[in-house]
Amino acid sequence: MGDYIWFHDVSWHATYAIYFFVIGICAGLSFLSYGSWRTEALRPLREKAAYGSFALLVAGGLLLIADLSQPLRFLNILNPVYLNFTSPLAWGALNIVAFGIVSLLYLVALRQGKEARGKVLATAAALLALGLPVYTGYDLTVHQSRPVWNTPVMPVLFVALAVASGSAAGAILAGSNAAAQKLLREYLLWSTAAVGVILVSILGTTNYGGAAQELTFMILTTGTMGLIFVGIGIVAGTAAPIALLLAPVGRGQTGVVLAGVLVLVGGAALRYALLMGPQQLQTLF
Amino acid sequence: MSEELRVSAIETREKAGKRRFAMVVDTRRCIGCMACQVACKAEYDTPLGVNRTWVPYKVVGKYPNVKKQFLPRLCNHCDDPPCVRNCPVGATFKNEDGGFVLQRYERCIGCRSCMAACPYNARFMLPSHRTYTPITNVVDKCTFCFHRVSQNLVPACVQTCIGRARVFGDLNDPTSEVSYLVAKNATQVLRPEEGTKPHVFYIGADRNQTEFGRDAYRQRDVMELERSAFKRHLNI
Repeated sequence: MGDYIWFHDVSWHATYAIYFFVIGICAGLSFLSYGSWRTEALRPLREKAAYGSFALLVAGGLLLIADLSQPLRFLNILNPVYLNFTSPLAWGALNIVAFGIVSLLYLVALRQGKEARGKVLATAAALLALGLPVYTGYDLTVHQSRPVWNTPVMPVLFVALAVASGSAAGAILAGSNAAAQKLLREYLLWSTAAVGVILVSILGTTNYGGAAQELTFMILTTGTMGLIFVGIGIVAGTAAPIALLLAPVGRGQTGVVLAGVLVLVGGAALRYALLMGPQQLQTLF
Repeated sequence: MSEELRVSAIETREKAGKRRFAMVVDTRRCIGCMACQVACKAEYDTPLGVNRTWVPYKVVGKYPNVKKQFLPRLCNHCDDPPCVRNCPVGATFKNEDGGFVLQRYERCIGCRSCMAACPYNARFMLPSHRTYTPITNVVDKCTFCFHRVSQNLVPACVQTCIGRARVFGDLNDPTSEVSYLVAKNATQVLRPEEGTKPHVFYIGADRNQTEFGRDAYRQRDVMELERSAFKRHLNI
């Protein structure tokens, strides 16, 4: 009673979670487009995935710029005089730009039908695409004062989420192609299972110790945030699609696409909760 | 702190030839008049809803043994500041002579990465509309009154503190008052486990305020009501 609390704002708002979601699918689709050069079953997805990935990169980039309070100064981050290489954001900006350039060259090669160049550029694009979830995860991990964010497994989780989201988007894009759906089912199953395992380990260690950790666990698992994180993210977006894919119906196109939709919804919820949940406690310090 | 405790090259505590300014807050002397908060507001025209320094308080104990505990807060001007590491464009930097952690407004892109990195919530985003200054939409923070200290004055909050609860000086100077206070008293820093090596030292800080308590997980709707009431003026 009578306490005077100063409420602070969260640093990163929901726009950043949407960016995580968009850039994750973007990276996943890039992996699929690269995969089409290695696996014949993914061949029908090559162009669709490449165009989709580039479109999402543009959308994600615009989101990121719009989220800055000084949007027109986004060029500062590309100024070599200003760049601070101890910041993951600086590496991320370079990664995004490099990925954008390579993706564009890749699309040109695809349009011109230059197979050899396309294969090389697809490989380069996929490697740079791997950097996108890695840097976004690392972006959170470096904030060592925030429970959950500070786990070193965060970049791995974001890579697994990117593969899952990309495979889910791929399953929707693949339509009735049975060979592609069969392979994407495998990708979806294993990547979603990896997400589940990592989430269990994060939740376990978060609940294990430290006042801030335990309070963050409580915030993440109860109330509205609990509904988003556990209800939509873990139950509906991770456990349910795994169960669906393992069931007989999950071997058909409808099952894979339905599982893909669940994974996309769950991926969005997980990214939102992982971004916003651990910030709530800090606002009260 | 001995020289052996320095880990990062950025740290300047006990570095020969360098000054390392610090503040000692003696909470036993703080009467919660908020004059420091007002002086800071006046010095910088800090807008409504944000503060470079603030004085939260808690009523601790059980009747009849109760006490209002104040914990004046500000940027800790860490010796190893995570905000400096996190800024992608070098808008935040540490002044080597003095240890001030400062902000280049013209370079800040407003990504709020430094705000996320700060364990003390010492940073805030300036609103888009201000009356007397064009500095808007960038991150701001306490500067330890760099402009005053470089003119051999003490920070505005220290100048105005009627209980002399805030003491400011060069910790690398063994004859300074802060060196004396840190040497002679048991001092605390906020969240030492983060390894930021804060340079705001507290004497008599209460654990009810320096630690996360279950209080942080109160009835969410009550908390949201308080928060929305608190933030209402932002829409003015």
